Amino acid sequence: MSLFPGGGVALGKLGLTEEDIMDEIESGKRDLVKELVAMSSREQIQAIRVLPMCLEDKKHIRSQVHDSKLSKHGLQLTCFTDCSEQVSRSFRRCGANVVSARQAMKLWQGTMKEVGGKFGTSVLSYFIFLKWLLMFNVFSFLINFGFVTVPQLIQPPNKTAAVGFRGLELLTGAGYFNQTVLYYGGYSNGTIGNEPVYDMQLAYFFTIAAYLVLCAVSLIYSVARSFQKNFVLSTTGSAWRLLCSWDFSITSEKAIRQRKNNLRVQLKESLSERSQRAHISTSAKLKQFGIHLGTWLISTALALASCAAIYYLGLYNLEVIKDSQDSISLLTEASTLLLPFVVSLINLIIPLLYSLINKTEKYSNPRTQIYVIILRNVFLKMGILGILCYYWMYNVPTTISCWESFIGQDLYRLVIIDFIFSMLESFFGEFLHNVIGTRCLPSLGVPEFDIARNVLDLIYAQTLAWIGIYFSPLLPLIQMIKLFLMFYLKKVSLNQNCQPPRRSGRAAQMQTIFIALLFFPSFVGALSMVAYTVWSLKPSEHCGPFQGLNITFEAVALWMDRQGSVSESMWPVWIYNNVIKSELFFYLISLIILVLIFFFWQITQGRKLLITLLREQIVNEGKDKAFLLDKLQKLQKEKQTTASSQRPYRQIPQSFDRRQEIEPDYDQDFEDLPGRPLPEEDTGPVGPPFTSALIQAMMARRQAEEEEEEGY
Amino acid sequence: MGNKQTIFTAQQLDAYQDCTFFTRKEIIRLFHRYRDLAPQLIPLDYTSGPDVKVPYELIGSMPELKENPFRQRIAEVFSEDGEGNMTLDDFLDMFSVLSEMAPKDLKAYYAFKIYDFNNDDYICKSDLEKTLSQLTRSELSEDESRLVCEKVIDEADLDNDGRLSLDDFQHMIGRAPDFLSTFHIRI
Repeated sequence: MSLFPGGGVALGKLGLTEEDIMDEIESGKRDLVKELVAMSSREQIQAIRVLPMCLEDKKHIRSQVHDSKLSKHGLQLTCFTDCSEQVSRSFRRCGANVVSARQAMKLWQGTMKEVGGKFGTSVLSYFIFLKWLLMFNVFSFLINFGFVTVPQLIQPPNKTAAVGFRGLELLTGAGYFNQTVLYYGGYSNGTIGNEPVYDMQLAYFFTIAAYLVLCAVSLIYSVARSFQKNFVLSTTGSAWRLLCSWDFSITSEKAIRQRKNNLRVQLKESLSERSQRAHISTSAKLKQFGIHLGTWLISTALALASCAAIYYLGLYNLEVIKDSQDSISLLTEASTLLLPFVVSLINLIIPLLYSLINKTEKYSNPRTQIYVIILRNVFLKMGILGILCYYWMYNVPTTISCWESFIGQDLYRLVIIDFIFSMLESFFGEFLHNVIGTRCLPSLGVPEFDIARNVLDLIYAQTLAWIGIYFSPLLPLIQMIKLFLMFYLKKVSLNQNCQPPRRSGRAAQMQTIFIALLFFPSFVGALSMVAYTVWSLKPSEHCGPFQGLNITFEAVALWMDRQGSVSESMWPVWIYNNVIKSELFFYLISLIILVLIFFFWQITQGRKLLITLLREQIVNEGKDKAFLLDKLQKLQKEKQTTASSQRPYRQIPQSFDRRQEIEPDYDQDFEDLPGRPLPEEDTGPVGPPFTSALIQAMMARRQAEEEEEEGY
Repeated sequence: MGNKQTIFTAQQLDAYQDCTFFTRKEIIRLFHRYRDLAPQLIPLDYTSGPDVKVPYELIGSMPELKENPFRQRIAEVFSEDGEGNMTLDDFLDMFSVLSEMAPKDLKAYYAFKIYDFNNDDYICKSDLEKTLSQLTRSELSEDESRLVCEKVIDEADLDNDGRLSLDDFQHMIGRAPDFLSTFHIRI
């Protein structure tokens, strides 16, 4: 689509009549209409919407397009075109109604607007991330409930000695809940129904597998899209800060004042950065390196120490539980809460230590500081989860009889205690900090909403939920409730206690990093653990849908054998035998993917080279443009002086200024800036000659055409 | 959601829907927001396409725009008369471009016009200085402000003519992925 030079040109400056300009613009519009008519309806609408014109012009163009379309089809049956127009219009209206209905059902729309208005886009990104995770859990709960739990509820398995409901179950998840459909142990390995036989084993396996595959696809897609949008040629420097980073959606006066202050501080910093960069001596560099090394050693040591502590605590826990399997007393049950309590305590305290350590280090780039903190926290959390998985995979199955349910209970406890600790963290971290900061120690200040820490907490919680899907199919319900409550909790805490963030950080890049973290250590880790359980561990003998098999995957193998013997549908069996079981297939696929990656990498290298070349070309084109316009004006000036009597309507002022810059009136007050051209500018150094290169070129073309006509 | 409203004719609503990024419901909701600014001025019946404008003072007092340092420029850029007095068309156009569905190029075009204080199709140093003063409450010293503007032009000016054309600006926006989410007013 062509951009019209219409908009801001002060025609009066150039002294041209409106006629010439309007003629050119009209012919431009006619070309535009021709282009639009050639498109399909939907493309037309999209193209009209993105035209950079005012609404009236757009409506005018739209009606012209309609008229010319009608006239084009004038020969055909007008009744038919009328009908088809009506039908397509009613379809569009239907589509628009569906979109608006979906929008009305969007959760928390008003709250998000409020938060975005007061705190800006980066804090809002936390809430958007929370909502996205909630959707994952809702989907998981619905399919687990629909395909696995409901059939089981129709035909419940035989329960052994049920324990009565004591209040402690809500925290520990054991006791009364032990034999229910909340855990793996509550599902039978039989079949349900008579004629269309519903095999519980296959249902359990395939539901969970399907959900994990869909999650993987959705996450990979999100990471790729986010990366593509946000990591392309990132900028540094103040140009970006000045012109692109102002957040137009903030509406609260206090927040805006704060932003202005922050921007000023950041600009001042960036100005002084330049001078500071050169002055680092070698001894200072060495010292910094030493400090970095020291802090990394300390943080790694802390992480390893916590992992070891958790592992030994787990072993101790196992000892206590092992002895009293069936008749678990209240005290023993309560002691199972010790492990989650310690885990959450570690998750609370060690990140605080990390940020304290971080304050002693100096980084040249504030972004690097945030990345280092995030990296350390990720190591800590994934280390904890890793050691827990190891403990669950190696120690638990050999010790406890219905070990999948036990792991499910452990996860339930972890999720619940994590939630309680989040509430406490909000209370202490934000509420008390606010109170202390405003009343007792003003130097501490009002707390900011720590986006990185909160998002990492969310990622950790979601990893627990993903690990738990196999062991406790209804865990997503608990996670859903937890996220729902967390939203309101964080919102209230934010409104009461926090101030808008000081650094207008790279919200988009942080989003990409968080989504990538959600995919790479978090989801992949959970998936590998579930995969290991399914492929290598022996399911428990006496409970659950896979009792009696050697490995869980055997259920599928047995099913395939049964299908093969029936020999009604050969292709799934063929696929199973030759594709999934054969290693050759996977080798071939890996090889092909590696080759493709290599090709794409080479293409990106080539494109990078192309970009630098094109940049040079733009600079050269700019110089060419300046040179040509210069020449054009010289020629027109000559023409003016020779033929000034013949063309009274082309009045290019004689006081012709070839300066490339406009020197405006600096004395003018900044407060009342009108958008109009100032009337004084007509007399002085008039007509920035390069204002509308297009206008100049049009004039030259018109002149050339007229000369041609005269020449005949 | 059917044809129960009497504010616009069906053709008018269709035209609005095709030319902005809003749905019918949103257009009617926006009309009511527009009318709330000056209920005695704006009729409830727009079928005859009345030519009424809401003066800039009322537009600038909307909660979404009240505190925005660029509200005057925004109103001027989107208004027909260039002074900030907006008709319903201007109003819808403004919020359509500033909504989250507008594409980057369109937003970049209008952002360019907003920052171009003297309307000469280029962002020159004086425009940048005015932008800077709007954004930092005029608290940077003259030297600092000049240095920052020079730095901006150095970094962003590709064709080396000492000021930013629309192409330079769009190129810079292309490298700032946050722009789409920050150049956005929710209504």
